Amino acid sequence: MVTSFDLPVAVLLPFVGALLAASFSALHRVAAAWVAGLVTLGSLLMLMPALQSVFAGETVVQSWAWMPSIGLDFAFRLDGLGALFALMIIVIGLLVILYARYYLSAKDSMGRFFAYMLTFMGSMLGVVLSENLLQLMVFWELTSLSSFMLISYWQHRKDARQGARMALAITGGGGLALLAGILLLGQMVGSYNLSDVLLAGEEIRAHALYLPTLVLIAIGVFTKSAQFPFHFWLPNAMSAPTPVSAYLHSATMVKAGIFLLARFFPVLAGTPEWSWLIGTVGMLTLLVGAFVALFQHDLKGLLAYSTISHLGLITLLFGLGTELAAVAALFHIINHATFKASLFMVAGIIDHETGTRDMRRINGLLKYMPHTAVLAMIAAAAMAGVPLLNGFLSKEMFFDQAVVASGESLWGQAIPVMATLAGVFSVAYSLRFIHDVFFNGEPINLPKMPHEPPPFMRIPVDVLVVLCIAVGMLPMFTVAPLLAVAVQGTLQAAPPEYSLAIWHGFNEPLLMSFLALTGGAAVYAVRKPLFAWYESHVKGQQLRHWYDWKIDKLLQVARVVTRGFDRGALQDNLFWVLGFTLLMGLAGFLSSTAPLLGGRALLPLDAVSLVVGATLILASLLSVVLHRERLIALVVLGAVGLVVSLAFVKFSAPDLALTQLSVEIVTIVLLMLALYFLPQYTPRTSAVWRKWRDGILAGLLGLGSAVLALAVMTRETATLADYFVMQSVPGGGGKNVVNVILVDFRGFDTMGEIAVLALAGLGIFALLKQIKLYAPATDSSGRMWVLEANPFILQTFSRVLFPLMLMVAVFVFLRGHNLPGGGFIAGLIAALAIVLQNLANGIGWTAQRIRSDMHSWLAAGLLVATGTGLVAMALGYPFLTSAYTHVHWPVVGDFELASAMFFDTGVFLVVVGATVMILVELGKLNRLDAPAPVRQGEV
Amino acid sequence: MEGLVALSIGVLVACGVYLVLRASTFPVVMGLTLLSYATNLFLFAMGRLAIGVPAIVRPDAAGYADPLPQALVLTAIVIAFGMTAFAIVLALKARGETGSDHVDGRTPHPNPSPSRGEGLRGSLAPPRPLRERGLGGEGESP
Amino acid sequence: MMHLPILPILLPLLAGILLLLLRPLGLQVQRMVGFAAAFALLMLAVWLFDIALAGQRQVYALGNWPTPFGITLVFDQLAALMLLVTAVLAVGALWYAIVTEIDAQGSHFHVLFQMQLFGLNGAFLTGDAFNLFVFFEVLLLASYSLLLHGGGKQRTVAGLHYVVVNLVGSTVFLFALGALYGALGTLNIADMAAKVAALPAEREGLVMAAGLLLLLVFGLKAAMFPLYLWLPAAYARTSAPVAALFAVMTKVGVYAIIRVHGTVFGADAGNLAYFYAPWLLGLGLITLVLAALGVLAAFRLRFQVAYLVLASVAMLLIAVGLHSETGLAAALYYLVHSTLLAGGLFLLADVIVRGRGAYADRFDPGMSLPHHALLGGLFMFAAVAALGLPPLSGFFGKLWILQAALEHPWRWAVLATVLLSSALLLIALARSGSVLFYKVKDRPDAADPVLPTRIPAFGLSLVAVLWLLAAVPLLVVLAQPVAEVMQQIAAQTLDVAGYRAAVFDPAVGGK
Repeated sequence: MVTSFDLPVAVLLPFVGALLAASFSALHRVAAAWVAGLVTLGSLLMLMPALQSVFAGETVVQSWAWMPSIGLDFAFRLDGLGALFALMIIVIGLLVILYARYYLSAKDSMGRFFAYMLTFMGSMLGVVLSENLLQLMVFWELTSLSSFMLISYWQHRKDARQGARMALAITGGGGLALLAGILLLGQMVGSYNLSDVLLAGEEIRAHALYLPTLVLIAIGVFTKSAQFPFHFWLPNAMSAPTPVSAYLHSATMVKAGIFLLARFFPVLAGTPEWSWLIGTVGMLTLLVGAFVALFQHDLKGLLAYSTISHLGLITLLFGLGTELAAVAALFHIINHATFKASLFMVAGIIDHETGTRDMRRINGLLKYMPHTAVLAMIAAAAMAGVPLLNGFLSKEMFFDQAVVASGESLWGQAIPVMATLAGVFSVAYSLRFIHDVFFNGEPINLPKMPHEPPPFMRIPVDVLVVLCIAVGMLPMFTVAPLLAVAVQGTLQAAPPEYSLAIWHGFNEPLLMSFLALTGGAAVYAVRKPLFAWYESHVKGQQLRHWYDWKIDKLLQVARVVTRGFDRGALQDNLFWVLGFTLLMGLAGFLSSTAPLLGGRALLPLDAVSLVVGATLILASLLSVVLHRERLIALVVLGAVGLVVSLAFVKFSAPDLALTQLSVEIVTIVLLMLALYFLPQYTPRTSAVWRKWRDGILAGLLGLGSAVLALAVMTRETATLADYFVMQSVPGGGGKNVVNVILVDFRGFDTMGEIAVLALAGLGIFALLKQIKLYAPATDSSGRMWVLEANPFILQTFSRVLFPLMLMVAVFVFLRGHNLPGGGFIAGLIAALAIVLQNLANGIGWTAQRIRSDMHSWLAAGLLVATGTGLVAMALGYPFLTSAYTHVHWPVVGDFELASAMFFDTGVFLVVVGATVMILVELGKLNRLDAPAPVRQGEV
Repeated sequence: MEGLVALSIGVLVACGVYLVLRASTFPVVMGLTLLSYATNLFLFAMGRLAIGVPAIVRPDAAGYADPLPQALVLTAIVIAFGMTAFAIVLALKARGETGSDHVDGRTPHPNPSPSRGEGLRGSLAPPRPLRERGLGGEGESP
Repeated sequence: MMHLPILPILLPLLAGILLLLLRPLGLQVQRMVGFAAAFALLMLAVWLFDIALAGQRQVYALGNWPTPFGITLVFDQLAALMLLVTAVLAVGALWYAIVTEIDAQGSHFHVLFQMQLFGLNGAFLTGDAFNLFVFFEVLLLASYSLLLHGGGKQRTVAGLHYVVVNLVGSTVFLFALGALYGALGTLNIADMAAKVAALPAEREGLVMAAGLLLLLVFGLKAAMFPLYLWLPAAYARTSAPVAALFAVMTKVGVYAIIRVHGTVFGADAGNLAYFYAPWLLGLGLITLVLAALGVLAAFRLRFQVAYLVLASVAMLLIAVGLHSETGLAAALYYLVHSTLLAGGLFLLADVIVRGRGAYADRFDPGMSLPHHALLGGLFMFAAVAALGLPPLSGFFGKLWILQAALEHPWRWAVLATVLLSSALLLIALARSGSVLFYKVKDRPDAADPVLPTRIPAFGLSLVAVLWLLAAVPLLVVLAQPVAEVMQQIAAQTLDVAGYRAAVFDPAVGGK
């Protein structure tokens, strides 16, 4: 039972502070800095009670359920390791906030800066204080995001934007690998809580998933902690404001990866795989960083590569896998954070005061800013590992462990050698930092006259440098207790015996230190030719260029693939769809061993059918062959439709035949009207290969659909048919089963169907309202269209026909329930009657006589159909429940009155409305009679 | 008889598919119409074929054709009509907007001019060379 | 109340009819009635969702005909969830259309909008395969007109492609349905499941072919590889509120797969149980890769957002393709997240586009746009959510899907594809955000177009953006209650036996 919630508050406080900082900065420029400082102090205070428990040897865990479904808890943990990191984050954070308040110029927005900064701080605290690994992931990626915003703080600068994007891509991308690793870890352990994971080391190391897990987590660690070959983002992130570099890129964020190594040390370390992977990468990073650092002319560039090198050192120590190496690593984490943060701040001061960071121009600053110079020299000496400073102590421990690890193998032998070599370069670049900047003659062509910075800007550096000296001289009284709990928290066991003494006697590590110091001095002495060699041979082969090239390549590939596939061409699109249809159908048949066809007895073939079938096939083929001659093709198409109607007659489906026939007529009229505005001929555009390709696909699909049809028709299946036939009269009150299905059994389908029709009408209306189309003045052969469009004979006939057709429509409608017919066919006939008037007599003439807005027909039809259903609901039955009764009408006789009739009326109205709307609106276009600006080549 | 029907369906599908794959709107609409014929026949055939059976309920009938597929075909016919009508008017609209009856709004022949031939292709093709553009330039190292 | 399942269908239908009748009264009346109807639908959906979670499935026999002879509506938790998501989306999209006056750019916007909802809700509620086809056609025809609303050359061409491809899709739909009816003799989904469970071996190939064709049809709606080519242009070229509403259109395809395939070829289907799932998973993975590349390749913001929608659909296909209860629950969580986020993103993109004036949505560095910081912040927020980075809902959804994937034999493929594509999205969105908001010029060149000084109806349009984006933090804060609901829904959805029992309940239907 958890009662206190100080850990989550400590973590979340900075996030709240970020909001406050952003909003308060409008009131006063410095308000944001005050908020940041106070919030950070608040976090520290919140942590105090828990820290006390930790120093007393306990582990504090505070946990609530967040999303147990995925094993995510809102859970925090403070142990020695977390305490070390949390203190580092907060203490250095406070110093950086103080520093930044004076660093930022009047042009820079304080609110934005401190809001980002606090977001980052909260995320970082979240990483080190998370008990739940998924929650750790949340904060982990948040550090990447907030660092993106911090690096790109000066958004107008190209290098800032690029550096930020690169950092985000690499650390965020690495985070994805880490996520995969953590998922596997959770899979192995069955829990994402560190308390469980830390106890399951044995099990995990023996698991088959151990190696992939290790590799994935390592990628996360390497990217975040700028390990080779992912290190290049760090120097590019130096375009961030210097407080950001000091905080994120030396003391905290880059240490998040290291933190993870320490965190998982008891779980993942101790295997050869661990040592090879972590140790090798650490060693490479150590060497590469130290080597490249020497050749940087940018002050911050030098520090960045130096940071990479030190991070490699720490990684290597963890990679060695022994408990004492872990102690050394933890110790170096503390030391590096202090001296490197102070060095970055110094670099910022120099940049601030001189206006440049180029060490070829900044020389001899000792006499302009003596105080700062002394601080910088002490910090740099600590970085070089000079005795009596903190860097010396941890470096000695490192050398010692390197010697211990040397063992028998050749590779082992190499470790101390390479460690010493890295030490040589480390001394050399530290010397360069001191000598080039503060001595080495006079400054060259500086934009500003240098002088000491404002005192408050220096205080953070003072504090850190004092810490360097204090730890270096009196380790037992300063850092020892913190290191002890950190070691315990890391190992999750009693710490091993280790000594923090300054003097261990004459031994191999001391010799190595000596070699490093003298060797470093020697290398620095010959730097000039080295620089020349570097400029000509190494520079330019940086991974950064390789990365840019890769990203460019990636973009190219993305564009080629996307544009290659998504070309905005309908023909490609359809080819994929149709080709895939073939594939899917084929795959379905092939995934079973069942025979293609069944054994049902087939109907005999008679001569008439054969002729009709042959006509159908020939007409279809003809319409394809003639498709360029559009008008002729259209006529042939009409013939195909007629034959299909005939087929329906043959197979005892008169309703279908009637419907197909009437739709056929309307469709062809419609296509004719449309064709008027389109070219009369289709140009030959398709390449031969495309015709073949399409033809083959078409043939195969035709074959496939024929097979599918046969596969069904050769089998017998029990269907629902009997029920409909049985229930049609007693249940639906109609003898025409098909019609009863339409208006009753499946009346809901019909409702959807008329909605589709109404929507088609409305859609076409909307389309035609905005259409910009001119009627061509001549047909494609250049003949003028006859303008007096309404021939007299047609006019006369149509006027006589009109009432007749309406009568037929009513007749077809009324008999629909019991005989072939119904609302739909009746509607089409009525619509045709009206359209015929339009065609024969002209729109104006018709509009005077049949004055009706078709919108209201549509609305009325839908309303009547829906209303029929609603009445049933009002009577307590489900929607669309039908009822019928027989009424005796004088003269006519016994008459059946079914509610389905009303429904069918709705269908009728919609069909008339939609059809007339479509045809009349299209016909109206004729009236534009515009002077047809048909340009050459357009038709 | 079933074979003949299947063959007819197959031919209708093949012709429809071929026309749908053409580059002008009118053949495409014709192809869609052919496909809808094929669909209607196919759906109808799924109720198995029957010759000479009554279409309406009669006491003396020996058997009936499956009425359900017929009802489905009716619905399908109506929907296909609405869709065809919409498609052909849309083709007119496209003709009005693009000045061409090419399905991608391009002028097909003989030399597709870049200005009018842009159509949808222009959406993904870079209007200017890569280097000058925002993103292309952004990724470059100095 | 027995009529519950039909209400979400009738409400938009009646609203559509009413709007059609009220046409002469002018746009303002249309707006008020349309929005009121959408809002009422939202209230109804909330109420129904509550009822669905508390109770059993409700089956509604239309026309009072017994299953499987009449058409039945099945109202269950999954349907209720889809209704709710759609209603939330619709309210946001409609609000945006009204305040920006996009609805005035053509005829019948409000009628079409309601009919679109009618089609969507019908598709979610129906328990009959052919009725599903009919509602698909309703929602498609409404979507055609909505897509084309406002006109313009490129929109028309994109609309033409969309229409033709979907017409071909409808043809395949009917072939698949016909073959299924021919082989199984029924159209009711539950009844089909019963028939497939007792399927004679000699008919397996036929049913599988029809099942895969049906998968193709739904995959076409869902924008599955290689059927998604209609999507980028259609979504990028149409007006913003329509694109926002369309965010649910792809989900209809996914829903149909869950509903139809999950039921008919579900756990009870013997040899055919989940035979479609590897297809779904494999194609989902390919879609995801291509979508991520598309996001990276986009030269325009709206195309980028369209490809982001594609990526989210791909995640859904993968999650459904895992065919586990966890996978489905994760899919549903992701579905809610991605649908509302995509809607919000399209609206946000439109606000940005309007602020950029002549630069429109091209990734060209322009001048700083009005409300620069606010829009930039919102863009970053939405981008982080879309990428699936913490701390927003995309991350939790992705995490859940990945956890479900770990139980699947293809876990390495899923893990690698999902994470690598996330990395691609990260690179792409960092670039576009950087160009749109960071890389701004201090001073305009002489050749540069002048930017608008203000965005019309900025505050009001932002309301819609925030309304939709609000889902993102809510899904994080309420992660557990939401996750429990999703698990409950997934469990009910996968309970095919329960579904069949409910549909064939003798208490339902019968004259």
